[in-house]
Amino acid sequence: MPVPISQGWTVATYVLKQKLAGRKRYPFVLMLEPLFRCNLACAGCGKIQYPAHILKKELSPEECFKAVDECGTPMVSIPGGEPLMHSQIDKIVEGLVARKKYIYLCTNALLLKEKLHLFKPSKYLTFSVHVDGQREHHDFSVCREGGYDQAVEGIREAIKRGFRVTTNTTLFDGADPNSVREHFDEMMELGVEGMMLSPGYSYDKAPDQKHFLGRARTRRLFRSILSNRKKSWKFNQSSLFLEFLMGKQQYKCTPWGMPTYNVFGWQKPCYLLQDGYADTFQELLDSTEWQNYGTESGNPKCANCMVHSGYEASAMDHTFSGLRGLWEAARSNFTTTYEDPDALQMLNEPVKPVHAFNPLVQISNESAAMEQTRA
Amino acid sequence: MSAPSHAERQTASQATANAELDPEKLEVAAGTARQNVEGWVPELASESELRSALEQAFEYRGDVTMTRKDGTKIEGYIFDRSNGSSLATSFVRILPKDTNDRVRVSYAEIAALAFSGRDPAAGKSWEAWVKKYWAKKSTGTGEASIQPDALD
Repeated sequence: MPVPISQGWTVATYVLKQKLAGRKRYPFVLMLEPLFRCNLACAGCGKIQYPAHILKKELSPEECFKAVDECGTPMVSIPGGEPLMHSQIDKIVEGLVARKKYIYLCTNALLLKEKLHLFKPSKYLTFSVHVDGQREHHDFSVCREGGYDQAVEGIREAIKRGFRVTTNTTLFDGADPNSVREHFDEMMELGVEGMMLSPGYSYDKAPDQKHFLGRARTRRLFRSILSNRKKSWKFNQSSLFLEFLMGKQQYKCTPWGMPTYNVFGWQKPCYLLQDGYADTFQELLDSTEWQNYGTESGNPKCANCMVHSGYEASAMDHTFSGLRGLWEAARSNFTTTYEDPDALQMLNEPVKPVHAFNPLVQISNESAAMEQTRA
Repeated sequence: MSAPSHAERQTASQATANAELDPEKLEVAAGTARQNVEGWVPELASESELRSALEQAFEYRGDVTMTRKDGTKIEGYIFDRSNGSSLATSFVRILPKDTNDRVRVSYAEIAALAFSGRDPAAGKSWEAWVKKYWAKKSTGTGEASIQPDALD
């Protein structure tokens, strides 16, 4: 995992403390959403469809600090909406750096270049730039021509000024594994510290309801992408979570692992589902009926989910669950190439990317949406 | 405006169909069919009708207008609900359109409900984007993008 040693040590000691204290449910990363407003309207996003008076709301820096102190995690992810549109994002970041929290500010980077002067480079601050693939894939995914070029320009400028920069890539049905691998090459050549990956969640409010990956296809896609890895690729996330995406690990969801705080309060049960809100973090832990969530619960809203917000914490918990977990984590960090001739063959399978379907000349096959693998 | 038709209530049946499949073998996750409830004024004659309407109001991404039994009205976004054993112990929480308060309203206080605000999740923006993208590709002119909703 390409993170500073101090970050790795902080996270490891935090998780060990939770385990030694016997905490059954502990948070790993706080997902702090200081606003829902965004300057993009991405096809797969179900986070920003609200009335104007809700989109105008912002968490104050004090509300953010209170949530961070309540939750106590060593890492804070700031998604949104677009956090760089928050009127006091610099104050929020400054306060979290002062608290020695490792921050991942998740941005589409459209405003990054013009707002970089608001921030100071720090080992505690990483810009996690949303790039969903190569130029055409990304622009189609975020429904904005030129979005890729602006993101890359922001990345270059941030790296030049000494900031830590990672990318985050969300994949949907129709992703071209060869193109994703070329995207990895391009991002590493740009000089990012590492990359993060996740399949998209099937948000019921997202504009595009036709391209959510099922679990079988997710595993095959990630196996084809992440096997036979190049040594130059660095991933800024748990190697065991990546193995989970490839079908090499089985985990149950840990919905409390990445709790979410936003303008409504503490979101039940997780970053992706909205089943109500609690006023305090403790109330969230105590009042959520956790047994109702996760694929194994039979909850249809959780059926297809393999997203990092539910499963990366599971992978981290596995790592620190004993000698076997530590051994597996160590093995997965040293087994960097994942040679797999079958996965190599899968790269030769024909793929038709989402943006290759021309609705002006084709009729989509709705029945394909429910197809099951015959494997 | 009437209650959502059977065809519009596909979410629950789709969800059931999905759950009956083995999720580990699913290739593509079925999306959610849009419910057109914007403008709907549900009947609240029985407890089950009230509970069902408030559950839909909680799922709705637009504002609603709620009339209390004392005649006062509140317009805003329902961000939370709690289903208790009785109407008196069940409540919704609303962020009103014109204040920063968080208002808690017991189910027992509610006389009427209207899905009065525009549904920001009901648009055809993605389909429009795909058409725009291909139109631009075929002509090679103009910039293709979807803009987020304006705030005013």
